[in-house]
Amino acid sequence: MTSTPMPAPGGTEPVAAAAEAPGDEGLQKGPLVTPPPATATGVPMIAIDGISKWYGSFQVLTNCTTQVEKGEVVVVCGPSGSGKSTLIKCVNALEPFQTGQITVDGTKVKDKGTNLPKLRSRVGMVFQHFELFPHLSIIANLTLAQRKVLGRGADDAGKRGRDLLARVGLSAHADKFPGQLSGGQQQRVAIARALAMNPVVMLFDEPTSALDPEMVGEVLDVMVELARDGMTMMVVTHEMGFARKVADRVIFMDKGEIVEDAKKDDFFGKPRSERAQHFLSKILQH
Amino acid sequence: MFSNFDIGVIASSLPYLFGQGMVFTVTLTALAATMGVAFGTLIAMMRLSGIPGVTHLAKGYVELMRSLPLVLVIFWFYFLVPYIGAWLTRSPTPIQVGAFSSALITFTLFEAAFFSEIMRAGIQSIPKGQTAAAQALGMTYWQSMATVILPQAFRNMMPLLLTQTIVLFQDTSLVYVLSLTDFLGAASKVAQRDGRLVEMYLFAAVVYFAVCFTASFLVRRLHSRVAIIR
Repeated sequence: MTSTPMPAPGGTEPVAAAAEAPGDEGLQKGPLVTPPPATATGVPMIAIDGISKWYGSFQVLTNCTTQVEKGEVVVVCGPSGSGKSTLIKCVNALEPFQTGQITVDGTKVKDKGTNLPKLRSRVGMVFQHFELFPHLSIIANLTLAQRKVLGRGADDAGKRGRDLLARVGLSAHADKFPGQLSGGQQQRVAIARALAMNPVVMLFDEPTSALDPEMVGEVLDVMVELARDGMTMMVVTHEMGFARKVADRVIFMDKGEIVEDAKKDDFFGKPRSERAQHFLSKILQH
Repeated sequence: MFSNFDIGVIASSLPYLFGQGMVFTVTLTALAATMGVAFGTLIAMMRLSGIPGVTHLAKGYVELMRSLPLVLVIFWFYFLVPYIGAWLTRSPTPIQVGAFSSALITFTLFEAAFFSEIMRAGIQSIPKGQTAAAQALGMTYWQSMATVILPQAFRNMMPLLLTQTIVLFQDTSLVYVLSLTDFLGAASKVAQRDGRLVEMYLFAAVVYFAVCFTASFLVRRLHSRVAIIR
């Protein structure tokens, strides 16, 4: 398997040029989504129930149980290799799991009768490496799945796409290609692409880990705004500032287990487990 | 040997050489390449499908085609296809396929094995995250293949696909064994008729070289233009 990794953002000429290019008008005011009730409602959107997963004989997830309520923002953190990315990928079945069950908005993920493409179309996902489609223009990236999966017409899809591009402040880039944008801009496009499908919940898999430090802020701004608009979000990230700002709950994972699952203030105030305390002391020092 | 070199025989046979011979060669190359890439892509997808029986079938097919001389395959199909056709249609007599159709089928099937290896590399060169992103947006396997993976794979592999097509362009001269008249066949006929072997075969070589060299040059130019910026 020879895979071509994405270059580090900002490392190449066109990216560096694009970062300073005019037309990046920054975030615009206005909701990214039609706001549902802005606080956690008690209705589970994602219910993760005792899932375990093995790669061969190596266990990557051990009996993980948690849930994300409608309108809630849950941050998942933990040392690398702790299984947090694997856990979030189980939610939309990008990764299979052997035991346990996940229910998303009432639909069982691990069930022969479940139409997985349909389920996934209602779950937005943002990846560490953006994964925009490099052969398509930005606007085509936003409209492709709307048209193919949701069956929207070209005009509807285009309008929805342009609206969302404006919301993430990238209207001027609609006809460019992903390779011409900086990493931060690409990730904002990726968020807009996921939102274009009108998802009921958004999953973020380390959305800022592959970004140059100066581009982290613009992506987090979009996410903060999204959270304040009431979107249900499950976010794997090391950005504790983001967690403090908008998270309702924080889940701490280590070695494939959910070690701590607490309200944000409890987690940052007095984490009960030693491992979480240790982790926090390490990343909050700087 | 060159003392009585007769340029006139070349000039007078140009309409025949190009009007019939080259038209045939180009037609056969274009059709076989198009169908070969389509079938080859299907084989590549079968081979990468991860379904045990399907994978082995595709692999076996590619290995078989790559292990046989092309001339043998051409003969084999020419004599066999009429009987297979008869068997499929339950006809009591062999089906008339015609030399051209037989040649086209042969080249398509044979080249598909080579195209499939190129497409397999092309599909594998696309990062797994692209498939994941397409799936996460709710696309089915076929949707993500058709709109995300294959367009990128084709673009990345275009130079190799075209280079293989240039090889195919040369290989089509083997249709002489079925008494079909391609460019080389036409030159050969004139050469035998007029006793001008040196002139005609030299001219044929020059034309093949000119066409293939130019095509290779254009492929390199094209590559720098269609490459996807990542």
